[in-house]
Amino acid sequence: MVLNGIGLTQFAAAELSLAEKGIASAKVILTGFVVVFSVLLLLIGVIKLYSFIVGMVQGSGGSKKKKNKEQTPPVKKKVTAEVSEPVSPKQNPPVEEGIPEEVVAVIAAAVASVYGKSGRAKIKSIKKAGGRSAWANAGVLDNTRPF
Amino acid sequence: MEILTGFLDAIKGIYESSGLVSLGWQNYVMIGISCFLLYLAIKKQYEPLLLLPIAFGMLLVNLYPEIMAAPHISLVEIQSANDPAAVGHTVQEIGGKIYYENPTYGGLLYYLYQGVKLGIYPPLIFLGIGCMTDFGPLIANPKSLILGAAAQIGIFITFTGAIFLGFTESEAGAIGIIGGADGPTAIYVTTKLAPHLLGSIAIAAYSYMALVPIIQPPIMKALTTKKERGVVMEQLRPVSKLEKILFPIIVVILIAIFLPDAAPLVGMLMLGNLFKESGVVERIAKAAQNELMNIITIFLGTTVGATASGANFLKLDTLKIIALGLIAFCMGTAFGVLFGKIMYKLTGGKINPLIGSAGVSAVPMAARVSQKVGQQENPGNFLLMHAMGPNVAGVIGSAVAAGVLLNVVG
Repeated sequence: MVLNGIGLTQFAAAELSLAEKGIASAKVILTGFVVVFSVLLLLIGVIKLYSFIVGMVQGSGGSKKKKNKEQTPPVKKKVTAEVSEPVSPKQNPPVEEGIPEEVVAVIAAAVASVYGKSGRAKIKSIKKAGGRSAWANAGVLDNTRPF
Repeated sequence: MEILTGFLDAIKGIYESSGLVSLGWQNYVMIGISCFLLYLAIKKQYEPLLLLPIAFGMLLVNLYPEIMAAPHISLVEIQSANDPAAVGHTVQEIGGKIYYENPTYGGLLYYLYQGVKLGIYPPLIFLGIGCMTDFGPLIANPKSLILGAAAQIGIFITFTGAIFLGFTESEAGAIGIIGGADGPTAIYVTTKLAPHLLGSIAIAAYSYMALVPIIQPPIMKALTTKKERGVVMEQLRPVSKLEKILFPIIVVILIAIFLPDAAPLVGMLMLGNLFKESGVVERIAKAAQNELMNIITIFLGTTVGATASGANFLKLDTLKIIALGLIAFCMGTAFGVLFGKIMYKLTGGKINPLIGSAGVSAVPMAARVSQKVGQQENPGNFLLMHAMGPNVAGVIGSAVAAGVLLNVVG
């Protein structure tokens, strides 16, 4: 007669005393806690180390500044249609009717993430752009249909 | 008259082989449950990509249990020396009688289920997830790995609860992993530790993942103050391409060396990520995250659902697993937030503790919940990218926790 593995483990479980259960639990909690934290702390150290090395190799802070400069101009070009010099810090930008608050928030977030909090840019107004051409619509449809 | 008898016999035979005779009450209850799950998947859209195949697999196996039947060989006695039925079959002699081996093949879902049973599908799902994951926020803020680790504590505490509720160590390990909120990891660990509980554990894990937006916010709000929830975090630094390419290679080397049991899951996750970040195998990356992942999802969902046959599922143990799973999940969220609070204190208020709850995996739903709860306090606060760090760290953390469980109780 062949006993299957499940039957055997269940038989073993019935034999576990309260103390044995406590020991088994403590063992797993302690090992789990220590190993998971150690491995992830090790990863933190390694990520920091190699980020530092990569930063050094790529010219450290200098290259970061360069990168920021490289990244900002093209974005700036796109945003200039909507972003210009500050009107007044406390004044809310005029928003065209029919544009939901969420969209305004997203635009504000995009501008803030590119320019930061330095106050270099303010949203002057938010308006809907003119309708897309048939070709542009076809392109958008093609890209968004899977979702 | 003979025709009428033959007709009645045929009708009787069809009736006797139909589900009306062969199905038990448990099967009918499970059919009801699967229809309810189908409703949740289609109407409420709770994780439909997984819940729909799971619910349909459950429906199929309870209507036609043979679809999951394992292949077997029966012995049939040979009536005469020239018995035509025995031709081509292996013959055995037992007790002076001669039998031939008559093989019966397994059901369709039995064969598809082998990918689950042998632990093949979950790592392949991780391959696809790796192709879709951006580890940039984690590399930019490696401290978020601590939150990914903290959210795994629930797994180990639930293990204790399960042990004291009468489950074996292996079963308790499989139940605890529900707290990792990672479907493939839960399935992978369960197939290795307690395959007989797969149906209930998988269903509990995916149900709670679908319910993340309902379960997490009350815990997050209860454990944080208004001031803490309103913290606006500094923008993350840009991460270079080289750092992103090196990340999967370094992680896999470290984890595979220190915790080999986690290597299949983490290895596939990182391979997928390297496909994405290297930028040189775009076709493969697309195939892994679209076609391959979708095919595996169909097989995995349907066959996991098919393990929930009435006799297997309708037990007191299932209710215990569902309750323990919820505890594991809540504990994971709570510990993530509590560690977030510690980091808030240590950094002088620079870290919003709400991102801690995203340390349970459930990518990207848990991060979205952090964002949503944060915005309720301060509509101008955008925590999403900050929460993605602990969120992807949670995927690594739950894979590491899985490795620990496999090693300690496996």
